[in-house]
Amino acid sequence: MGRKTNPEYMNTVGRQYNQLMEHCKANLDKVENELPPAREELSETLKDGGVSRRDFIKWSSIMTATLMLPPMFKPMVARAAESFSRLPVVWLHLAECTGCSEALLRTSYPNIDDILLDTISLEYHETLMAAAGHQAEQNLEKAMHDFDGKFICVIEGAIPTGLDGKYLTLGANGKTGLELAKEVTSKAAATICIGSCSSFGNVQAAKPNPTDAKGISDALGIPTVNIAGCPPHPANFVGTLLHFLMFGGLPPVDSLGRPLWAYGKRIHDFCERRPHYDAGEFVEEWGDEPAKNGWCLYKMGCKGPYTFANCSKVRFNDGISWPVMAGHGCMGCTEPGFWDTMAPLEKPISEKTILANERTVDKLGVAALGATAAGIAIHAVASAVKGHKPDKE
Amino acid sequence: MAQIEKKHEWTIAIRLAHWGRAFSIFVLIATGFYIASPFTVFSGETTDKFLMGNMRFYHILFGVILTFVFIIRRYLTLFGRKSSDLRDLFAWTDIKNMIKQIKFYALISTKAPEDKYLYGPFQSLVYTGLMFMVLFMVVTGLILTGACYHNGLTEIVYAILKPIENLMGGLANVRFMHHIFTWLFILFIVVHVYMAFWYDIIFGKGTVSSIISGNIFKETH
Repeated sequence: MGRKTNPEYMNTVGRQYNQLMEHCKANLDKVENELPPAREELSETLKDGGVSRRDFIKWSSIMTATLMLPPMFKPMVARAAESFSRLPVVWLHLAECTGCSEALLRTSYPNIDDILLDTISLEYHETLMAAAGHQAEQNLEKAMHDFDGKFICVIEGAIPTGLDGKYLTLGANGKTGLELAKEVTSKAAATICIGSCSSFGNVQAAKPNPTDAKGISDALGIPTVNIAGCPPHPANFVGTLLHFLMFGGLPPVDSLGRPLWAYGKRIHDFCERRPHYDAGEFVEEWGDEPAKNGWCLYKMGCKGPYTFANCSKVRFNDGISWPVMAGHGCMGCTEPGFWDTMAPLEKPISEKTILANERTVDKLGVAALGATAAGIAIHAVASAVKGHKPDKE
Repeated sequence: MAQIEKKHEWTIAIRLAHWGRAFSIFVLIATGFYIASPFTVFSGETTDKFLMGNMRFYHILFGVILTFVFIIRRYLTLFGRKSSDLRDLFAWTDIKNMIKQIKFYALISTKAPEDKYLYGPFQSLVYTGLMFMVLFMVVTGLILTGACYHNGLTEIVYAILKPIENLMGGLANVRFMHHIFTWLFILFIVVHVYMAFWYDIIFGKGTVSSIISGNIFKETH
């Protein structure tokens, strides 16, 4: 485009990237000096996982591009990946289904994102730790003491705020989720919300929301990085941690706290079925000819046009597929309140029911139009019959 | 013998703005309904078809036209030399006249309210409502456009309007409200056209043609 041919612009951009590079190098040095040594040698771990060096280099290129950095940052991404296991992480589970942990940990053949997540220095993770009861509490306190202000707090799950948070109590001391989250996040270097529950409340916060569940940043009033999704893509989480290691801070986020490099554009913008949308080619019912041809799922209730996420680019399960590719529309799981706003799941948004009795807006509109027309007819006939005329002035 | 007197009611700017808005709204309703519930084009090659793309193009084009007509019209309301109707938009504050007007519409009384302002008292209230309806449609429309096009003016406007999107609970809700308000426009058009015809017949002043020629006619003794 025009800007790329402008030498002055390119100089400025180049200078900015060089500054960013200096910053990145300084920060990685700091990470390597200050944080505890890596628990595992990454090259060994990767070899055990069946990943060749070549695959690792490919992965670091992909991650660099995913983070929207120029190719010169590839060595830095690789270096940050090596320091991955130095990063102390405290992982809290609040009101949730552990699906996000499951999604990040279980794969049939792990890719590098999964292996990296396995190497993470988890100081406390309620699902995975061996400790139980008071011992588990001690682990948490030790981690908070040892890495005060240095560890990353990852939160999975919403906080029920009703009854002073008593809808959710955890651990041997019976702390409420609200207390626990407050205590841990106040000592963390940063808080990353993983999944839509901790980001925005998700199903727990869906109407009528009896426990008054909220996302972390709403409930505690702290800034968080929200890796939204139900479950989110591992790459988005790994990328955020890489960003933290490389630049010593969390990535730029949108107005809802989601990293811009991952949640800056809509599903619809990068959908492989998008040309069929523009052509006016839609799947009319499940399994029909258009469905076999891979046409657009808009009429089957795809919520991709309202959903900011990079699923269509990164795809799931080692890049094999993602919902729209598999033939079902997006359900908008990265958006706040998607259980309420995106319903009905398999119908377009215009067929949402309002008031009661399966009424859609269009049905109500036609009814209102009919009533108006009837009113007009009555008024017109009455005016004619009565011979309605204004008095002469 | 009664004499007919010509009175210049609508300035050229107001008339142009009226038809500009009317035409845009008609195109927007038609294309909008296609976007909301499109039909599938089965025949032909995908590469030759661009129906939804074209519908969206015209929808956005006329949406932008409506936006600018709206801005110009509101400028005229506030600062127009001949076309300012700020005072007339508050005709509804005259409660006595309002009651007279409602009685007259309901065929209870034959005493028409005084013709003090450009709009009748009830009319001014509806037009103020319409003003906010257009504003709402323009704002939600710009949000929906901004979410698609990440460049130029739409990008700037979207960055400004993003908090409104969040306040409304995301793009899905914005889209849904945009759809609901379409029906308010349809109802408005039906009633508006009927009232214009009704006035024309009841008063015999040439109300319908006044928005074309700008003139209404009055019988003088």
